[in-house]
Amino acid sequence: MRSEPYSAADRLLPGSATALPLGLAVVALVLIPLVDLIRTTITTTGGSVLDALDGEAIANSLWTAAVAATLATAIGVATARIMTRRGSRAWHVMVLLPLLVPPFVSALAWSRAFGRGGLMDDLVGWTLPGLIGPVGIVVVLAVHAAPLVYLVVGSALRTRARPELEWAARASGADAGQALRRVTLPLLAPAIAGGGLLAFVVSLNSFGIPAVLGVPAGFPTITTRIFGDLARSADPAAFHRVLLLSTVLMALVLVAVAVATATMRRVAGGASSASREPLPVVGGGRPPILMSGYLVATTVLPLAALVLTGLTRAAGLDPWPANWTLANFAEAWQGDAWGAVVRTVVLAATAATVATVLGLLLALARRGGTGIGLAVAAAFAVPGSALAVAVLLAYGPWLRDTVVIILIAYLAKFWALAHRAIAGSCGVVDRDSIRAARASGATGAVTLRRVVLPMLRPALAAAWVLVFLFGLHELTMSSLLYGPGTATLAVVTLEVQQLGDVTVTAALAVLLTVPGIGAAVMMGRQRGTT
Amino acid sequence: MTSALEVRGLVVHAGGHEILSGVDLAVAAGEVVAVLGPSGSGKTTLLSAVAGFIPLSAGEIRIGGEVVGSGVPPEQRSIGFVFQSYALWPHLDARDTVAFPLRAAGHGVDAARRRADELLTAMGIAELAGRRPAEMSGGQQQRVGVARALARDATLYLLDEPTAHLDAATRGAAESEIAAQRAARGAAALYATHDPAEALGAANRVALMRSGRIVQVGSPIEVYERPIDEWAARMTGPVSVVADWPGMGRVAIRPEWVRLGGSRSATVSAVRFRGSFTDLTLTTGLGEIEVRVSGATRHRPGESVTWEANRVWALPG
Repeated sequence: MRSEPYSAADRLLPGSATALPLGLAVVALVLIPLVDLIRTTITTTGGSVLDALDGEAIANSLWTAAVAATLATAIGVATARIMTRRGSRAWHVMVLLPLLVPPFVSALAWSRAFGRGGLMDDLVGWTLPGLIGPVGIVVVLAVHAAPLVYLVVGSALRTRARPELEWAARASGADAGQALRRVTLPLLAPAIAGGGLLAFVVSLNSFGIPAVLGVPAGFPTITTRIFGDLARSADPAAFHRVLLLSTVLMALVLVAVAVATATMRRVAGGASSASREPLPVVGGGRPPILMSGYLVATTVLPLAALVLTGLTRAAGLDPWPANWTLANFAEAWQGDAWGAVVRTVVLAATAATVATVLGLLLALARRGGTGIGLAVAAAFAVPGSALAVAVLLAYGPWLRDTVVIILIAYLAKFWALAHRAIAGSCGVVDRDSIRAARASGATGAVTLRRVVLPMLRPALAAAWVLVFLFGLHELTMSSLLYGPGTATLAVVTLEVQQLGDVTVTAALAVLLTVPGIGAAVMMGRQRGTT
Repeated sequence: MTSALEVRGLVVHAGGHEILSGVDLAVAAGEVVAVLGPSGSGKTTLLSAVAGFIPLSAGEIRIGGEVVGSGVPPEQRSIGFVFQSYALWPHLDARDTVAFPLRAAGHGVDAARRRADELLTAMGIAELAGRRPAEMSGGQQQRVGVARALARDATLYLLDEPTAHLDAATRGAAESEIAAQRAARGAAALYATHDPAEALGAANRVALMRSGRIVQVGSPIEVYERPIDEWAARMTGPVSVVADWPGMGRVAIRPEWVRLGGSRSATVSAVRFRGSFTDLTLTTGLGEIEVRVSGATRHRPGESVTWEANRVWALPG
């Protein structure tokens, strides 16, 4: 018999200990900004909705996200199928690597690998046609979203469409095609749909990729239009467009998320109740050459090109040792960069700490704090562009151009991330170990401190690192909220890129990406050894 | 008559480890062979290799006389498989689950469902037809899994610990049902289990498996009464091993081979009443000896008794 997971029935803290801080946090971080955004949009836009609507940007966002999501779904499903049959931990990390690279850094890396004057251009004289423009946007969005589909479909393959279910079909006389069609696909359909919608939402919300690959080509999307218009927000028409686009984007995303949630709920239910012990996975070995090729082309090569660019003395030179220099990294430290690094780290660490505490409180709250949990999850789904505009509306009058307003936006966005990481692990705290502590004479608070928290320690650490990395990489909200002297490293990198300094941009982008990959490798190691 | 299954020199590697190291085994037509071994000994791997789920590193498998190499997929082998985890499809009800092999064999939807209903009725689980796995108990899922395997007209049924997850009461019923269903078809079966009582009771022959090798094959009585070594003796049931039996050296003594009363003296060190029999542990000059007497006993721990062994079996070394 499986023991039952921790449930709020065995409550450890008095309700008021969690309810009060949770209530205050959700009102301040989520409700006030979002209500402000909707209210201001309605009152200021008035009847001129259609005039102010930017059809071109909305259409561009929708179709690039749709095509990218379709591509990402195909790649993610194929990867999941290959990896459940043969794939090691190291391959798993490789497949997830794009998630550890800030999206706009990926876009930069792609343009250094496959763009004009990029690595492939230098080596074999080949460039990816249309990289600057919609083609590039779609491809890089798809590469970035594919690991998310892989995670969703991969977990469904492990829990719902376990390989032995396909074997049972084969042992019943079905050939590989029939087994796929009649067993695996019906079981995976909800996960594929859910993963695809997730990819669509992430692509729709993306700002960094269209900012790097779309803006120079004059290809606007909702998020880049919001960024552009907010810079000119003294113009009332531009400000209206910002409000309206933010609300439209939020509405589109929330609809997609609602559909995704409904489909995913079907994934969770109905798994066979028998043992989850898998049959021995034999026939291991390496994933096929095609997958290695894909990973090299989409991840390794662009990152290598980025590093080489960062090491090269000047933009026009070949990226070989003769032209190597560390001057770009030294130059990256000039200006505001050093201050930006300190600011970014402090901001990300503060956000990670507060979000982890809030996430833990929410996970421990009665019945998972259902209403608050929903509001927090919704805030995570709200596109960064819209959330930043909302926070600016609500707190701009007092906090404009301070680090605090960026912190508020981070907390609103990343609270859900920390909560998910912790709540997802509450299953390891089984009900009986809590009851055993209580039966041994421990109070709720003592049980929390001496039994529950130690068991959750890995989850708390994971939540902290996750939020820290997202904070480090965050560009969408920071780029809308920063002021004089409060730019983060990502914002500085984007500024330098827009000034056109290719080599220093690359150096900054490398600095921004290294900690994430380093942390992932270290955590992978740790988990591998324990 | 051709054998239902012949396995020769089977070697299987997984994750850099050798799971099977040269397995030889034959199952005659209509025969039931139990593979008895502890978990991790390679039973499931052996069955998976025979079914074609996993590739072989070396060796040969023949099913019904036909060589099935790694290139022959499971659906082209004449097998039915009962999974330890049942492996029922969450999206199909019992009727469609049992109809699945029939449809794969080319029957139409309606004919397959009719035949599935007949099978479910024959197994006494007609009332499960419309239920999905999530709505069934473990025992019910297990029966649907057996029905699905039987729906495929196979030369050889492979049963991977089919009763491991059932409680004691359901297990007995399931064992006899599987035996009856299989016997009705006259099909052969390879039956993996770690439970000696199940292996000895269900099989015509028992193969003892240890660390990827078959160490002994024989009739249930042979492997029980004449184990080749101490490990085989312990694997097949309760036993006392005496290091130095006068005149014979190392011997195995089954508890029912010992009777109370006789020329040897001992002290009772433990008494465990089990209902239809009672197990006693005796401390003797030769070491601890287990005794099984039928019914209850008046003996109490600490009492002095006399005993004698009706028979002993010499072990190597």
